Amino acid sequence: MIKINEASYKYSAQNIFEDISLEINEGEILCIVGPNGCGKTTLLECILGINKLNSGSILIHNTDIKSLKSAEIAKQIAFIPQMHDKTFPYTVREIVIMGRAVHMNMFSSPSRADIEIVDECLCTVGIEKLKDRPYTQLSGGEGQLVMLARALAQKTPLIIMDEPTAHLDFNHELIVLETIVKLVKTVGLTVIMATHFPNHAFYFENNGLPINVGLMNEKKFSEIGAPSRVLNEENLKNLFYINAKVVSYQMENGSELKQIIPISTKQL
Amino acid sequence: MNKRIIRVLLIISPIIFIVSSLFIGRYPITVHDVISVLWSKLTFTPSSLPDEIVSIVWDIRMPRALLGALVGGALAISGASFQGLFRNPLVSAGILGVSQGAGFGAALAILLFGTSSYIYIFAFIFGGSAVLLSYLIGRVYKTTPTIMLVLGGTIISSIFTALISFAKYVADPADQLQSIVFWLMGSLASVRYEDILIAVIPIGIGVSGLIAMRWRINVLSMGDKEAHSLGIDPALNKGIIVICTTLATAGAVCVSGIIGWVGLIIPHIARMIVGNDNRILIPASLALGACFLIFVDNLGRIITGAEMPIGILTALVGGPFFVYLLKSTKGGGW
Repeated sequence: MIKINEASYKYSAQNIFEDISLEINEGEILCIVGPNGCGKTTLLECILGINKLNSGSILIHNTDIKSLKSAEIAKQIAFIPQMHDKTFPYTVREIVIMGRAVHMNMFSSPSRADIEIVDECLCTVGIEKLKDRPYTQLSGGEGQLVMLARALAQKTPLIIMDEPTAHLDFNHELIVLETIVKLVKTVGLTVIMATHFPNHAFYFENNGLPINVGLMNEKKFSEIGAPSRVLNEENLKNLFYINAKVVSYQMENGSELKQIIPISTKQL
Repeated sequence: MNKRIIRVLLIISPIIFIVSSLFIGRYPITVHDVISVLWSKLTFTPSSLPDEIVSIVWDIRMPRALLGALVGGALAISGASFQGLFRNPLVSAGILGVSQGAGFGAALAILLFGTSSYIYIFAFIFGGSAVLLSYLIGRVYKTTPTIMLVLGGTIISSIFTALISFAKYVADPADQLQSIVFWLMGSLASVRYEDILIAVIPIGIGVSGLIAMRWRINVLSMGDKEAHSLGIDPALNKGIIVICTTLATAGAVCVSGIIGWVGLIIPHIARMIVGNDNRILIPASLALGACFLIFVDNLGRIITGAEMPIGILTALVGGPFFVYLLKSTKGGGW
C-alpha cells in the first residue's frame, strides 16, 4: 500500500533522515521505534505529504504523494498527531465530525449521515458520553481518544499515529491498543505508528497481528522485522543505551506474552 | 436554547432593529406614519403624508439603518472568521491592516480631491492592497504560517498608521484635517442609498463566501498540518477566506470609516451565546453585528442629538455589555 524508496529529508542543511526504503502492505502494522529526535515524526509527516522529501519518493497505491492534493491523501490516510494545540472550546462531537471534511464538497456542512458515522466512532472508542463536552476540558487521555475517533470517522484504509499513547493511563492506553487490534482484524486497517514503547509492538504480536518493527536510529532504519526477532536485548542496548530483559510469560490459555523490562542505563 | 429558535431569532432580529430604528430620532414620527410610508414605498403608490415625513423615514433613517446593518454584520463576520482562521480569539477584522490601509486611502483622497466619492474608491483599493501586502510578507517561507501573517499584518498596519499621521500632518487644518479625523472615527450619518449600493456588492460577495465556507473554518482552526491531513488544503482555503473577509471589511470601512470594536467583540458575544462551532457562530456574528451597530447608532441619535462618531460609542456601549455577558455566562468554556 505504501512504498518508500530511498527517501531523504533535510531541514536547512541538516539531514533528518536519509536513504530510507520500506514497504507496508494492507492490513499490516508498522511500529517505528527509536530514541527522541531520531526523525520519526518528520518521516510520518513526509508520508502524510506535510513535508516534502528532498530526494526519493513515497508512493501510495503506486502514486507519488507529491502529485496528490490534500483531499486525495486524506481519503487514504488519517492522522493522529502527537501534539494537538487546543484553541477554541469545541465540543467533542464538533471535533470528531471534522474527520468527515474530506468526504464533503467545498461549501457543504456535515449531513445526518456524517453525524451517524461520528456517533458510531465515538462508541467504538467508548467516549459517547463525552460528546457534548468542550474538548478543552478533557484530560490528556480522553483528548487522545477524541483524536482517535476523529481519525476513525475519516474512514481511511490507513491511519498514521504519532505516539498515540503518550500521557495515557493504563486503561486509556489499552483502549487505544484494543481499538487498533479490533480494526485491523475486522476491516483490515493498516497502521503506521511511532512509539516510545516497544512493548506495544509485542502487544500486537501477542494478539496475532501481522506487525513489523522498524528500529530508527542515526537517520536510518537499522533493522525492520517481526518484534520477537528485532526487539532483542542487543538491539535495545544499541538503540536506547539501556540494559533490558525480554521476558516471556505463559498465559493460562497457552499463548505467550512477551514484554521488555528496562533495567539500567548502560555503563559506558 | 433550541437550535431552531436561535436560527429564527438570527434572521428576524436585524429586521426588527432596522424597522424600530425608523421610529427613533429627534423628529417624532408615529407608528402609523412609518407603516404608511413603508407601505407606499413597497407598493410603489404615492404617500398621502407630508414630504418631510416620507423623506425622514425613507431617505434618512432607512438607509442609515440598512448601512448600519451591513457594516456591523460585515465587520463582525470578518472578525469571527479571522479568529477561527488565525486560531486566536484576540484577532479582529483589521488584523491584516485593512482598516489602516483604507484609512490612508481615504485621507489621500481627501488631500487630493476633497470630500468626494474618490474616498470610497481610494479607501477600498488601499484597504485591499494592505491585506495583499500583509499576505505577501507572510509568504516569505512560501507557505503561510499564521504567525507570519499576523506579523505581516502588524507591520503593514503600522506603516499605514504612519502614513495616516503624515497625511494629517500635511493636511490643511482649516478643512481637510477635520474631514480626515472625522472619517477615521467612523460614521453612518448622512448616508445615501448610493453609498449602500457601493458597499453592498463587496460585502455581499464576502459575506456569502464566508457563510458558505463557515464549517471549513472549524477545520482550519485545527492548524495547517491537521487541516491538510483532514483533507482541507490550508493555503487554498485560507486564501479564499482572506479574500472574502477583505471584500467584506473593505466594503464596510470604505463607506463608514474605521469603526473599531465590532470586529473583535461581537464574535465573542456570539461565542458566549451560541458556542464556538462556526456553522452557527458565523451567521450569529453577522446578525449580532448588524443589530449592535444599529442599536449604537440609534443610541447616539437619542442621547447626544449631535452626530457623535459611532466609533466612539461602539466601545463605550459594548465594553460594559461585554463584561456583563462575561460574568453571566462564565466565559463559555475558555
